[in-house]
Amino acid sequence: MSDLDSPSPAETLDGASTVEVRTSASAALIPTIRAVASDLAARADFDLDAISDLRMAVDEACATLVDVAAPTSSLLCRFLVRPERIEVNAQVQTKHVDTVVSTDTFGWRVLQTLADDVSVHHDPGGDGRAPTVSIRLDKRSSDVLR
Amino acid sequence: MTRADPEYGHLYPLLERYATLPQDDQDRERLREELVRGFLPVAHHIARRFSNRGEPLDDLVQVATVGLINAIDRYSPERGSDFFSFAVPTISGEVRRHFRDLGWSMRVPRRLKDLHVSINGAVSELSQSLGRAPKPTEIAEQLGVPVSEVLEGLEASEAYRSSSLDEMLSSEQGSATVGELVGEADAELDRVDFRQALRPVLAELAERERTIVLLRFFGNMTQTQIADRVGISQMHVSRLLAQTLDRLRSRLDPETRVG
Repeated sequence: MSDLDSPSPAETLDGASTVEVRTSASAALIPTIRAVASDLAARADFDLDAISDLRMAVDEACATLVDVAAPTSSLLCRFLVRPERIEVNAQVQTKHVDTVVSTDTFGWRVLQTLADDVSVHHDPGGDGRAPTVSIRLDKRSSDVLR
Repeated sequence: MTRADPEYGHLYPLLERYATLPQDDQDRERLREELVRGFLPVAHHIARRFSNRGEPLDDLVQVATVGLINAIDRYSPERGSDFFSFAVPTISGEVRRHFRDLGWSMRVPRRLKDLHVSINGAVSELSQSLGRAPKPTEIAEQLGVPVSEVLEGLEASEAYRSSSLDEMLSSEQGSATVGELVGEADAELDRVDFRQALRPVLAELAERERTIVLLRFFGNMTQTQIADRVGISQMHVSRLLAQTLDRLRSRLDPETRVG
């Protein structure tokens, strides 16, 4: 099931607080989403590098998705705030089944550097559901020196 | 405004005299004071021109007066230029620098600006002692204020941004560059597929921005480490990175970026 078709209730799943933000898939609304991201990270006592990294990663992920989103569709961003880490799932509907987010780009490099873990998922949809693309990010509360 | 100007005309002989007096002449102080008082309306006038940007007029007048004093001290009549054509840009420059230093892009209460300054100080001390970026609770403990206040201050910091990126760049030349580290990052960049699209766009950036981007995304360094190497604050690195990414995003061909 696509997340956009079935908004999951903002209940706690295995101890994580859930925050969902749904906007039009428009670049103009990304600042709102990244403000939510950095607020959640700051309140979860992430270190300042991690707060800033998460903020930029969410910005990058959302900008990437908005670029491929179907016209007049929405962008759904779900944050799972777990102890010591935040998981982000951002998703848009696409017009075509074969729309892909490429991973050999500078944008993807940015995501890989800023997040501890990042992946992209393409769902072809079907049965009346639109195809979707989502980017999943995982960010730990403290930057481990690599 | 020329020598014939009735409001300032009488000050010109004083200016010329002031410029010729030796540094240790006892008359200098008195003369300078008289000149500052005489030209003060000019400083007020310039301060008022900037008064709709969210800074208290009193502060602006003070800054403009500093600019006026600089202009009086540096003016040399023998170069033949009119005092006003020297003083007006000097004073405006001082006021502009004030805004640049503040860099607040929206109206933020003074209390939060002060808090921002103390947070910034605490961040650099803690980064030194911890060897990593501090957490809000650690900053709160260091400053002896509630965490909620630190969170509020951090939020206000997001409103802190240079009005013009380029202006900020030109004002802060001379911050350290990190040749060897950038060299390694640069070699790493050579190994990626999108370097052909990225290189020309990176080349358009000012040196410090390019350095920060290379170190962060190809040199494997954290913002705090970069701040330490480049000699600016972590918050400043964070701001510059976000601004630069934004700029790169708009400059890179979406086809290239999205693939």
